[in-house]
Amino acid sequence: MTHSTLYHDGAVSFEKASDEQLVRFALDGDEDAFTVLVRRYQRRLTAFLSQLVGDVELARELSQEAFIRAWSALDRFNPKYRFSTWLFRIGHNLGIDHLRRRRLKTVALYRTDRDGDEVELVVEDHTKDPLGHFENTKLASSLKEAIDELRPEYRELVMLRHFGCLSYQEIAEFKEMPLGTVKNKLFRAHTVLRKALVTFL
Amino acid sequence: MTTSCEAIQESLAEHLGETGRLSEEERRHLELCPQCCEVAAGENALGLILARVLPPADPTMEDKVRAAMHSARRRRRVLALLPVAASLLVALLGAVLLGGLPGGSLLALLPVWSSQGWVSLAASAGDWNTVLTTVAGAATALLSPGVLVTAIVVSLLGFGAVAFAARRWRQVSPWHDIG
Repeated sequence: MTHSTLYHDGAVSFEKASDEQLVRFALDGDEDAFTVLVRRYQRRLTAFLSQLVGDVELARELSQEAFIRAWSALDRFNPKYRFSTWLFRIGHNLGIDHLRRRRLKTVALYRTDRDGDEVELVVEDHTKDPLGHFENTKLASSLKEAIDELRPEYRELVMLRHFGCLSYQEIAEFKEMPLGTVKNKLFRAHTVLRKALVTFL
Repeated sequence: MTTSCEAIQESLAEHLGETGRLSEEERRHLELCPQCCEVAAGENALGLILARVLPPADPTMEDKVRAAMHSARRRRRVLALLPVAASLLVALLGAVLLGGLPGGSLLALLPVWSSQGWVSLAASAGDWNTVLTTVAGAATALLSPGVLVTAIVVSLLGFGAVAFAARRWRQVSPWHDIG
């Protein structure tokens, strides 16, 4: 396969190329091909990671790092797998590493209330809120709450499906789980979400 | 709810209530099953909410990644050269063991290391038999068999490693030489 298959109006149009084609072009030295992959996945990866780490700005940094790591390791990418699942795995590992480090560093802040009980101080920064771009803040907080209350195994699948926009097949590959299980768990997760968000549906 | 209802509702969840993506049979079921119809409507509405969860794109990310790609490439280029350098070192060690460098005891006997080396080399270039006989004679005269074998093995390993590392370098270089 050559660039000629992607020529459109005298210029190479990478936008229509598949991920596999773009990876091959990137390995042949085409930086633009990799940049298209960055463009294609940055919002999805950021959305997924923002749910994982709870901070959209941090998720952007981690996404950027994931792309750089993917580029650095591109010659080791196994074309047997999809680029999307490989990239999300890199991002996921970065997110988990970050959470582990943060847990080691974090010191909880407490204050004493009128009854003398210790209450944890929660510092909210809405600019970092993964759903901060929602105009309907009530819907955003209900959705966040509904997702947080999902069982962890459901929550991760919802994050991969709706924030990472991965297909069921890609999720099955990512989680090394049978396709039928992914289908069933996501159906159950949706049932919980529908119930939780019934006032907005 | 029947088993087929659950299967259809799983499909509805997968397609976020888009009934157009169901099979003919599933659509027929939907016409007759109010419970599944309700799920279809709910999934559709949920899909509209979930479609808004992606944050806006970061316009600076592409440029930042591109800049990092250049430095990553430079770093990888240096790292890929390390095996070439290491194998050259091994080859050099083999040559030293053979007495060629820097002392010149063995290789000095070859035409290329002598005072009129290049002239002699040109003269003997067509006669490899003479060259090999000279090397073998000098080697057996100057080195014990053990040292000679070790030197030859180290040299061969070294040059083999150079060839391998150079090949590996050629494989990664198209990717690293861009830009």
